[in-house]
Amino acid sequence: MALSKIQAESMNLADTYAFTGTVSGTPTAPAFKNIIINGDMSIAQRGTSVSGLTNTSSQYLIDRFKWYEGGAPTFQFTMSQDTDVPTGQGFAKSIKLDCTTAQGSLGAGDQNILWQRIEGQNLQQLKYGTSSAESLTLSFWVKSSKTGTYIAELYQPDGSRGISKAYTISASNTWEKKTITYAGDTSGTINNDNGAGLDIYFFLSAGSNFQSGTLATSWQSYSVGDEAVGQVNLADSTANNWWITGIQLEVGTSASDFEFLPYDVNLRRCQRYFQETQIGIYFDVVSGRNYGTNSNFHTQMRTTPSVISSTTIDNNNRFNSGAINGSPFLSTHGILAHKGAILTSDAGYYQTLVRVDAEL
Amino acid sequence: MISTVEKTYREDGTWGNVYKVTYSDGVYYLVPHNEENRHYQEILEWVAEGNTITDNGGGE
Repeated sequence: MALSKIQAESMNLADTYAFTGTVSGTPTAPAFKNIIINGDMSIAQRGTSVSGLTNTSSQYLIDRFKWYEGGAPTFQFTMSQDTDVPTGQGFAKSIKLDCTTAQGSLGAGDQNILWQRIEGQNLQQLKYGTSSAESLTLSFWVKSSKTGTYIAELYQPDGSRGISKAYTISASNTWEKKTITYAGDTSGTINNDNGAGLDIYFFLSAGSNFQSGTLATSWQSYSVGDEAVGQVNLADSTANNWWITGIQLEVGTSASDFEFLPYDVNLRRCQRYFQETQIGIYFDVVSGRNYGTNSNFHTQMRTTPSVISSTTIDNNNRFNSGAINGSPFLSTHGILAHKGAILTSDAGYYQTLVRVDAEL
Repeated sequence: MISTVEKTYREDGTWGNVYKVTYSDGVYYLVPHNEENRHYQEILEWVAEGNTITDNGGGE
């Protein structure tokens, strides 16, 4: 294509001009095309390993990804941020799930899942509930010592609808890339709010309650028996491990390259749901008085967060979690912590890290 | 799994719309009275199962 210089004085804006030629080059992918947050598992604000995941516990470790188990299973897993990644793909971290207590025979209601919940207001481009509903394509890298059929389900909490697709881990202990496309849901409902709009479930074990029907490969009203038909039991041996990274969920019917974000951008996105903030204060003391101080969050949180037992970094251990257990003033923007009825001996520097949680 | 839920009060005796929720592993959260908060949703489920929130008052 050639583009010749146009002489301004030769153009008459009242005229119509035609462009001829061919536009070449690669279109730039839209920013933030990945609906999943922290799909490369790089952000782990809570820590890098948690062991003894047991019945009814719900655990976040790697940001935005939740371990869930239901029923009354006896199996246990350790979840960690791992450096075992597919070679040459640009990933540095993965989630590893290691079965530490096996359960060869699952109860009917036993299950465990790795999931991410996505806010409804980040999903309105899917146009669910209309004839223009968009398809979604999920891609990820996975590796396991346990080969066989696994299930990846999308679930809409607002409309209580689900769709499940099977994928196969073909070779033991080998990274494999999986790509799954889900049709748009013309009958779906995703509220335009800060609540859960879409869940993505990676099943790891599923008892007979979740496998009694026919796998829901098209969107349908939620039916427990159609959720995870064919799912292998990752909990059947302590030799079993499962890794995943590079999770991307994008609009369309094909998978594009994984969208790597700068670390700070990825962290800031995660901090909408979980963050650690510092509170510090220095004061002289009038015995019996109350003292307080404010800390603004790094980014506005999804909703008013919960405060988790704080970590004291004051050497005198005076401004510990007890300092904010009265009833802190909380909002999506920050926390006002206070320490009441102090003693003269409490005078000095106080500093603590406070963890706040507004996960879905 | 939730073990106990207790209303927490400020020094002036007012309730700040916050609960102290202690889980079976000893970890506790200070949870706002906010239906968008997942821990508050767990409190609602816990109460629906027949459990009771402890309210020792503000002591003022």
